[in-house]
Amino acid sequence: MLSIDTAQKRAVPTQRRTSGNLGRIAKYTFVRGSTILITVVIGVYLAILIANMGGYVDEMRIGQLKEQIALEMMNNEEVRLMTMQERKEYEANVLEVRKKQLGLDRHFIVRSFEYLWSGLTLDLGTADYLLSDSGSRWVRNILGERLAPTLLLMATGQLLLFFSAVFVALFLSRRYGSPLDKLVVAMAPTSAAPAWFYGIFLIMVFAAVLGWLPFGGMMDAPPPPSVWGKLLSVLKHLILPAGAIVISSIFLSSYYWRTFFLIYSSEDYVDMAKAKGLSDRAIERRYVLRPTLPTIVTSFAMTLIGLWTGAIVLETVFNWPGIGRLTQAAINMFDTPVIVGTTVIYAYLLGLTLFLLDIIYALVDPRVKLGGGGNGS
Amino acid sequence: MSKTLLEVNNLKLYFRTSKGPVQAVDDVSFKLDRGKTLAVVGESGCGKTSLSKAILRLLPRNIMEYSGEVILDGEDIMKYGEDVFRREIRWKKIAMVPQAAMNSLNPVLKIVDQIIEPLLVHDRDLTKDKALERVKEMFRIVGLPEDFLYRYPFELSGGMRQRATIAMALVTNPELVILDEPSSALDLLTQANLMNVLKRIKHEFGTTFILITHDIGTASELADEIAVMYAGEMVEKCHAEYFYTDARHPYSRKLMSSVPTLREDKELVFIPGQPPSLISPPTGCRFAERCEQRFAKCSEHPPTVDLEHDQQVQCWLYTDGREAKKHA
Amino acid sequence: MRAIRNLFNQIKNYPTAIVGLIIIAFMVVLSIYAVIKIPYREAVRLWKGGENVWIENPRNARPAWFNLFYKEKQPVTMVIKTAENPELKTVTDLGNGIAAQDIVFEFDYQYDGFPTELSLFFTTKFQTARPNVEIKWITPDGREIPMQSLTLRAQESYRISQDTRLPRRLNGAQPEKGLFADPENPDKVLKGTYRLVIGGLVFEPGSEIEASFVLYGKLHGFAGTDHVRRDIGVALLWGAPVALSVGLVVAVGTSLTTMCLAAFAVWFGGWIDWIIRRINEIVMILPLLPILIMIGLFYSRSIIVMMGVTALLGVFGGGILSYRSMFLQAKTSGYIEAARAYGASSFRIIFRYLIPKVIPVLIPGFVTQVPSYVFLEATLAVLGLGDKDLPTWGKLLNDAYTEGALLTGHFYWVLEPAVLLVLTGFGFAMVGFALDRIFNPRLRGL
Repeated sequence: MLSIDTAQKRAVPTQRRTSGNLGRIAKYTFVRGSTILITVVIGVYLAILIANMGGYVDEMRIGQLKEQIALEMMNNEEVRLMTMQERKEYEANVLEVRKKQLGLDRHFIVRSFEYLWSGLTLDLGTADYLLSDSGSRWVRNILGERLAPTLLLMATGQLLLFFSAVFVALFLSRRYGSPLDKLVVAMAPTSAAPAWFYGIFLIMVFAAVLGWLPFGGMMDAPPPPSVWGKLLSVLKHLILPAGAIVISSIFLSSYYWRTFFLIYSSEDYVDMAKAKGLSDRAIERRYVLRPTLPTIVTSFAMTLIGLWTGAIVLETVFNWPGIGRLTQAAINMFDTPVIVGTTVIYAYLLGLTLFLLDIIYALVDPRVKLGGGGNGS
Repeated sequence: MSKTLLEVNNLKLYFRTSKGPVQAVDDVSFKLDRGKTLAVVGESGCGKTSLSKAILRLLPRNIMEYSGEVILDGEDIMKYGEDVFRREIRWKKIAMVPQAAMNSLNPVLKIVDQIIEPLLVHDRDLTKDKALERVKEMFRIVGLPEDFLYRYPFELSGGMRQRATIAMALVTNPELVILDEPSSALDLLTQANLMNVLKRIKHEFGTTFILITHDIGTASELADEIAVMYAGEMVEKCHAEYFYTDARHPYSRKLMSSVPTLREDKELVFIPGQPPSLISPPTGCRFAERCEQRFAKCSEHPPTVDLEHDQQVQCWLYTDGREAKKHA
Repeated sequence: MRAIRNLFNQIKNYPTAIVGLIIIAFMVVLSIYAVIKIPYREAVRLWKGGENVWIENPRNARPAWFNLFYKEKQPVTMVIKTAENPELKTVTDLGNGIAAQDIVFEFDYQYDGFPTELSLFFTTKFQTARPNVEIKWITPDGREIPMQSLTLRAQESYRISQDTRLPRRLNGAQPEKGLFADPENPDKVLKGTYRLVIGGLVFEPGSEIEASFVLYGKLHGFAGTDHVRRDIGVALLWGAPVALSVGLVVAVGTSLTTMCLAAFAVWFGGWIDWIIRRINEIVMILPLLPILIMIGLFYSRSIIVMMGVTALLGVFGGGILSYRSMFLQAKTSGYIEAARAYGASSFRIIFRYLIPKVIPVLIPGFVTQVPSYVFLEATLAVLGLGDKDLPTWGKLLNDAYTEGALLTGHFYWVLEPAVLLVLTGFGFAMVGFALDRIFNPRLRGL
């Protein structure tokens, strides 16, 4: 017996273990991060291509140049002394020179890479019509200003949604077949409607009819004087839009995850845990929730993508001063630079969301380390 | 401490299915002495696994009937409430090594966490260090290298997972361990190893085992007593040495004749037909249909009677002049 | 065939599915009705025709059946035309080619509320001499209120409510109120039979005066009207076939294509598989709506283009990975090996063996996707990027939003398309979910 045992021990290949958890996650983060970054770049490139098939990005770029030149010309002593005719010639010349410098007179493909770079860095010049709240016309500033409210709304809504859905799903999986369970299952189709849809109804009920909550916007006007007051005001305005986000997905998510929990509850190791005498709570947490988490995270990713898509109209409906509403305003005014800018930002946001979810997935599922397909499905 | 560790009386476990009630464990009674190993043999689907689940009260959602007595160390644990049962019996007194141990380990937890769990749950006073010591001890006993404790289940081979599960079952030093087909998924060498480990544990700790298997040959290494299940009923139970030479029930005899032996030249026999469905079992003796020795009385359900050498059998062939075994 | 009957038997177990099917059936019937009753050209005419088409509708009127809920009954639009009721006109020949064409519009007004507008439209035929009309109003209690004398052109509109001289004769009240007010109690309507008398004179033989009297109600039609007087009912009706076709076509088309692509990718493996997976990653990052926005703004808002792009992106989007893993599982199974062994062509294996395995997932899949595409079309329309010609539910929402319907209390304008959108979405979703539970063995009974 002894010899067989030791033989088996020797037969086990000496595995070179990567330096524990941290190393594994770091490596995974790096790989996934780069992949997603590349994907974002390609995505933005496609967006630029689409935008420029009608020559709009060209126009945009040239418009930027012209503004730059005009600015310089204003500060140039010599130019001020020129006649109208001379000025025009000067301008045209400088424009040509600049275009050559930037490669804008070359083939479309070359130009597109230049645009790609400016797109990725959000160096999109000035907006055609829109202004940032601080009066700047730089697209970058406009976008930057609107980013925070969108992140606030989306993060709040999504986090609320995630945790409520998990809680409800666990609750339901314990009460399989109960009336509440059947109700949630029956209500799952309500998630067919996007968040902005529920937003409209919420406004109708709580703002128009009951008057309890504001119609829209992020803060009372005029804003309350104290910091505390401002904070409360934002919270008050956050209730309805975040509520819309939650309502629009909670039944479906709860249904899906409760189903996953039920399926995973019939795994053998759950029976084993019960046999070991663990309490129901402990079993739920370690033997049902934890193994199911990777699947849940993946399915949450899908929900999030849908949410980002609907964010534009949601913010519009609630007059929330974020990227979404900016997009809608830009559409109305046909402000090309801003539109391209928002598309790029959305690509980044989506990429960031997927990246974060991938990391959480890696943290939660130990099988990912050995390359057992940590690709989401 | 009395000799008898476990006494099961009239244990019933029925499931509800869309096709009708499945009578998986149908009025089973037996006794098991401390420190002994009982091998429960039978064909697939005869109710062996359900028996183990019934003892540990691991009931599915579609349970229909669950009754009888399970007297452990003098107390009927069937009467315990859920919470008490969970705290006092599960793993503390009775542990289980299930079939296909590959799947009984949580894939997202490290092995050490899973083995140490029952220790910490059932003994609040135990410090983490002491518990870890015990876990390492267990691993040594089952013959696994210590650093495998810190791996995840998917990093271990099937045989190693099996051993880890056994370590997990023993870590709380339970009085009774039920093993369900512990070696059916393993290769021959590992099987032999496993039996050796179990023998050593039995010798060192005096643990009582119930070994569920369809492999009579392997069972013989470990078993002190053998019980045969057929169609949800326990049709025979006797000491191991008598079983191999002097089995009484026709089914047991057929089983023995179908096992090849090393030294004899044996004509292997098979049993024609199929075991009856557990959904609506026949009213008389359930083996009657396939039995060569059946006679008229077999259309009535035979009682279980005691024979010499602590043997019990459920067959009309042996009931003459004997009293039906009293069921409590 | 038997499979389908089997399916229906199972669906019976899911009450939500039955409700869903009923809703879908209703929508289909509605669509068929819409297309038959108001053919495409007519729909576009009614929707985009311009002022002339809508002139006989009030602005922002609520649906007519709201009166069921009002204690004080509000007026519903009423139109009387001589062209349709020639007996209202009496022609008296006065010799010398001059004739008197007298028109009396008589009606019984029993509403508690006042109309929103009153107008008279004349269409005349003549050669050179323009006809004359003298208009006066007779109330139930016998008061005669003279209105206007007009010399008519070929088309003449007399907007009574905008007549600035009338209020003087009505104690300062607006015409649409004053003409109906009870003199004792000017805030209340005097109910009874009113007569609008038009004394017309034509000066040439063959001249004709045709008149239409429009009493613009506060309520109109079964769905109300919008800010440019369009009957919302037209858009509600036509929204149905648009929504259904968009949803179904895109959902089915995308699902089928995705499935075939996944099958090819898995079967032929190698670089095809690799490319498809990379494309999938890229498409998942591409924000669908902003891209559609860009296309809508820069190129074309035609619904066909939009749906085409959506389908294209949808094909490579999320679904393809799950089909792929299903096919991967199937590929390694025994019967595929057997098929290869007997020499089946790749084509045959894919279509006869692999794909049928996946159909149980395909069907609930595309049914559940229909609502997302329906709402996508609505989203685009709400943003102002909808198809320019089509009257759709999303377009109604867009108009309602731009006109601040929620703020001005015109809830019906928002609710009607919203309810229809929701019904359609829910209908398909309910059926889709039931189908999912029927087809997916792991979910059976859950």
